Formats: sequence, C-alpha cells, structure tokens
Amino acid sequence: MSFFLSALRIIRFAFQNFFRNFWLSVITMSVFVLTLITVNALIFINVLGSATVQSVQEKVEVSIYFEPDTSDDIVKSAQGYLLGLSQVRNVTFVSAEDALVAFKEHHQNDAVILDSLEEIDGNPFGSALVISAWSPDDFTFILEAIETPEYQRYIKKKDFTDYEAVISKIQNLSDRIRIGGLVLAGFFILIAILIIFNTIRVATYVHRDEIGIMKLVGANDWFVRGPFLLEAIMYSAASTAIMVGIVFLSMRWLEPWVSTYFGGIDFSAQQFFLDNALLIFGSQFLVLSVLGLFTTMFAIRRYLRV
Amino acid sequence: MIRLQNVSKIYKPNTGALSNVSLHIKAGEFVSIVGQSGSGKTTFAKLLFAEERPTKGEVIIGDWDISRIRQSEIPILRRQIGIVFQDYKLLPRKTVEENVAFALEVAGAGPSRIKKIVPQVLKIVGLSDKLGRYPRQLSGGEQQRVSIARSLVHTPKILVADEPTGNLDTIHSMEIIELLKRINEYGTTVVLVSHDRDIVNALKKRVITLHDGEIASDIERGKYMI
Repeated sequence: MSFFLSALRIIRFAFQNFFRNFWLSVITMSVFVLTLITVNALIFINVLGSATVQSVQEKVEVSIYFEPDTSDDIVKSAQGYLLGLSQVRNVTFVSAEDALVAFKEHHQNDAVILDSLEEIDGNPFGSALVISAWSPDDFTFILEAIETPEYQRYIKKKDFTDYEAVISKIQNLSDRIRIGGLVLAGFFILIAILIIFNTIRVATYVHRDEIGIMKLVGANDWFVRGPFLLEAIMYSAASTAIMVGIVFLSMRWLEPWVSTYFGGIDFSAQQFFLDNALLIFGSQFLVLSVLGLFTTMFAIRRYLRV
Repeated sequence: MIRLQNVSKIYKPNTGALSNVSLHIKAGEFVSIVGQSGSGKTTFAKLLFAEERPTKGEVIIGDWDISRIRQSEIPILRRQIGIVFQDYKLLPRKTVEENVAFALEVAGAGPSRIKKIVPQVLKIVGLSDKLGRYPRQLSGGEQQRVSIARSLVHTPKILVADEPTGNLDTIHSMEIIELLKRINEYGTTVVLVSHDRDIVNALKKRVITLHDGEIASDIERGKYMI
C-alpha cells in the first residue's frame, strides 16, 4: 500500500513539476527536439544518398551483342542461362528487328546514317541481351559466366568496359556516403549526448534548493529522485512526439521537391519513416530516456547529500 | 530528551565549529542557543537533525545515538523532529497546503490523515484562509508560519528553530515566538537558535551561550549576555 501510495505521489509530483516549471520544461524539450531533428535529418540524408546510389546502380545495364547470324533460339537459351544466375536481376531479349527499328527511330533525323543503312541493304544488327544485376560488382562475374564454349563463339561484343568506370565511381561514392554518414552520425550522437547531459544537469541545478528542502523535511532519496526521473522520461516522450510530428510534416513538404530534384528515384521518405517508425523513433525515445535517467541520477546525487 | 556528550565538530580542512560540548536538554524545555556569528549555533542545530555529524562525541535524541546515523535512517529521524529555518525553506512551486502536506506525504501518510492534519496545523498558525497561495504570494511572517505548520504535522517531540526570526520585522518576530511558546506549552521541546537579544530576554527561559564553539554559559531563565 505504502509503495503504491508513494509511486502515485511521485507520478503526481512529476506532472506538477513538468507543468509548474513550464518554461524550464519548454526549454529542455526544445533542446531535445532540436537534437533529435539533427539526428533525423542525418538519417534522411543518409537514406536519400543510399536511395540515389541504389537507383543509379539499378539503372546500370550491360548489353551483350550477338553475331547477326545467331538464331534467336541460341540467344534465348543464353537468356535462360543468365536468368539462372543468382547475381542477375533481369535479362531483356532484344531481337535483331527490334534493334534495327530502335536504331532507325533514334537516328530518324540523321539522313546520312539512314542513307548508309540503306546502302548496306539488310539488317546489320544481331540480337542482343540487356542485363541488369543486383549489384554492379556482379557484372564482371556475369560476363565471365557467359563465356562458355556454348555461347562464346556467337558473342560479337560486350559493352561492359564502357560502364566499368561509372560502376566503379558509383561504388566508390556509395562507400564514401556510407562511411561519411557513419562518421557524421557518430559525431552528432556524441554532440547530442553532451547537449542532453548538460540540459538535464542545468534543469536539476535549478532545483537544487528544492531537493535539499525535500530531504530536510524527511524525504528519502528515492522519493526525491522519483519525480525527476519520471520528468526525464516525460521530456523524452514529449520531445519524441513533437519530433515525429515535425519529421512527417517536413517530409510531406520535402517529398515533392525531392522527387523533382532527384527525378526517377523510387523513394518515399515519408514511407521510409513510416515503415521504420518503431525502430527509428522508438530507439530515439529509448536512448533519450536512458540518457535522461542516467544524467538525472548523476546530476541529482550531489544535491541529495543533505 | 537531547544529550550531547563531548561533542566536537571540525569542518575540513581544519575549521573548528564546536569544541567538547556537553549538555542535556530535558523533555518539554524551551532552550535558546545564543552566540555571535561563527560561535557554532547553527552547527549545533544541524547536529540535532543530522545535517552534520560530530567529528567526536555523541549526540543522543531520546534513546537514539545519531552520531553515526546511517544515511538511510536520516529521513526517519527528520520525520520525528520539527525543523524551522531562517529562510523558511518552502517549496516554491507548491501551495501552502501542498508544502505542509508534503512532510506527511514523504512519510507515507494516507490521504485521509493528510486531509485531517493539514487544516489543523494551518489553523494553529492562522493560515486557514491561505491554503492555495504559493510562497511568493505570502509575507515573510506568513511564510515562516507555513514552515512552522509543516514542522508540526508529525506532532514532534522536539522542534529545532534555527534563527526563525532572522528575516522578519519585530512584530512578525514576536508572532513567531508566541507561536513557538504555545507549541512548547503543548509539551514539545523547543530549541531556539537566535542572536536576537530582545527575543531571548523576553522569553525568560533557559539560555545557553556559545562562544568560539564552547559553552560560555548555561543559565535557567537566563538572558542574552554578549
């Protein structure tokens, strides 16, 4: 009975402190919210960076051109073989006729090229396979894999070399973004911890006289600490809730801009935050709360020695 | 009721506040502790509610030797002693009623007991009409009366008042002293720490004079003699 009575009183005092020290609560939560926004902005930039890299990677395709006299059956057999490889995402068959039509369409305003084509008299193109892979790293393997005795003699050209530099650059950029993001995240988290640590210390310092008074009228340490600890959790919960609102409002505002600027990227920041809400916001609330509790315990300790 | 045996208190690094003090205060007494600034009066008061511990000697309250009291036992001691301070020590963001109730709440008193006692003690100090006020909305004298009301909620056997009139004008000071006398008449032992000559002389009660941490005089129905 006594335990529950004390617990209820601690909860009541925490709420009283929270609302009666309104401006202190507002300032503390503002610092928390700003810190969380910084962390989430970093997450957004990282995710957007990864999505951009992934999108570009997905657009990288390698074509294999077959000799003009190669039958479609052989090319389709090669297509089946490639699709059987786990590294291959998709293989599109382009027939010789389709290649000719596409070429003509592409150069419809270039009379010289079209005349040259007439001169040749016939279809100079062979069939082709357009390959996309799960990762640009896999292209080397895929192109080596196709060089079996069964298909090698029919292959006229592989245009991988053109993409090699691009793929390497993308891979490089992707790695840099990942490493840079991690370093930046670590740096920001460290700053965030220091800011929160200091904010709570200041909030506790403001109450140092009250802590002493509580002790002098017979409160035990837990009765004094309790409301402050609960307040730290309340600050964390309220700040996380405010920050969630801000993040979704910003995403709503940013999304059209992002899709215009990074046209063609299949990425919705809102959806990303929604899908990972529990993990992202839950973990931020948890970290904030644990940090708040730890700091409060640490900060209040010296004032309890009355 | 209160016994000090060869009590010395030295603050670090090496500042002596009390030196070999021995005295006995009987139950129901009203004792004034007087002396100049730095004579050890406040240290003496702090020893009684374990805000300080003696460097040497014993402080015994009732049958309880609190000289080496454990940290966890201090709240239990303080719930049995009424304490009144010069600066009132009220919680600024709690109302008069909440400040008084707080002393009961920390001791785990039930809501019905709190509902009964708080109006009673506030009536004794004459603040029944100011339950919902915050300390900043009260005069110094009223704040001190709230502090006294708070100290009475556990019907303490001992009340320690450390310079309770230090921040008050003469009229309010006399009101507070009258209140302490009334509390003493109900049987509570009152230890008044003061450097107010007029108040101590008007009381005509036992006066213990401290000088440089030692007892300079201890006289029944004494006077302020510095």
